[in-house]
Amino acid sequence: EDLAEESQASKELIAQRVRLLEEWRAWRRAVVSELEAERGGVLPLELRDSEKEDEVIE
Amino acid sequence: MRPILLKGHERPLTQLKYNKEGDLLFTTARDKVVNVYYSHNGERLGTYVGHQGALWDVEVDPTSTILITGAADNSIKLWEVRTGRCIHTWDFPTAVKVVKLNEDANMLLAVTEERMGNLGTLYVFPFVIDTSAKHAEEPIIKIVSPDSKFTKAGWSYLNKYIIAGHADGSVSQYDGKTGEFLKNVAVHDKEITDLQFAPDRTYFITASKDKTARILDTKNLKIMKTYVADAPLNTAAITPKKDYVILGGGQEARDVTTTGSRQGKFEARFYHKIFEDEIGRLKGHFGPLNHIAVHPDGTGFASGGEDGYVRLHHFDKSYFDFLYDVERIRPE
Repeated sequence: EDLAEESQASKELIAQRVRLLEEWRAWRRAVVSELEAERGGVLPLELRDSEKEDEVIE
Repeated sequence: MRPILLKGHERPLTQLKYNKEGDLLFTTARDKVVNVYYSHNGERLGTYVGHQGALWDVEVDPTSTILITGAADNSIKLWEVRTGRCIHTWDFPTAVKVVKLNEDANMLLAVTEERMGNLGTLYVFPFVIDTSAKHAEEPIIKIVSPDSKFTKAGWSYLNKYIIAGHADGSVSQYDGKTGEFLKNVAVHDKEITDLQFAPDRTYFITASKDKTARILDTKNLKIMKTYVADAPLNTAAITPKKDYVILGGGQEARDVTTTGSRQGKFEARFYHKIFEDEIGRLKGHFGPLNHIAVHPDGTGFASGGEDGYVRLHHFDKSYFDFLYDVERIRPE
């Protein structure tokens, strides 16, 4: 009986973690795609790759 | 994960800052100087000398050209990173607690302390990455603090908002272009001691004396995550690459003696960012942790203590390999 209870609890914990993971990823996807649209392909200075910048100058 | 101990300061550390590439680490303390180290080996490159009081914050532009410091001598100084030359000073009525650049490094935000009839104030100055440019003397935005003073502040993505933490534990959102007040939400029960953004600035973490840290959505200030610790917190940082957060703090010296507590709780604590569980602790400092900065590539972190030391950590393989079963089953 104890074992059954334990396995039930662990199932619930796993289900909760799956839910948290999916909620977080869904939120991040929504935020990132909205931000990409707002940025219109222009990255701010602090997120630009320094090496790529050199290529542009060339 | 053996840390490198940096002994370049004689007083408690206040702030640590990696440059964009992460090869340099700038450190400030109550001893009036800024140190800069190579982050891979902890070798000291130089020192910036000129402030007459404790330093409270340090910032560096994304090209590592200009260093910005805020200090208890009521000034902000700009320094040429390469030479250590002071190139500009802004003076204020009180101590400067916060200096933060926006993501384009064309605006500088500053927060001054409330003292002797002067209310705490948030200023925004135009900024240019040019060591020979003349810097504007007058701010373009000036926000006098509401009843509860500003303790920390920073810029959102796209410079849309200025986010500020308060002594009463609340967080405010202002329009980043006009300084207009937008909203204030109750987040913590006590003072907000740190506020650090995620790399894209769409969310941020707050640390508080109320022994918790929280992640908030920058856009609507919704509380997304809560991390519960067992000591007052001074700092909280988000790690890139892995979904962790690192918290630091500890019993303040006066509380340790009054409670007779032998456990100072000075460890750096690692929590899983999404599941909110504590997953590990790292001992080292002999006093409270005042600040934690994470390497921009997520390969290590630095902690600054009340004990006057900086501990520079490089993460090992086990840090990167660690995954919850559900993360393993459902890779992104």
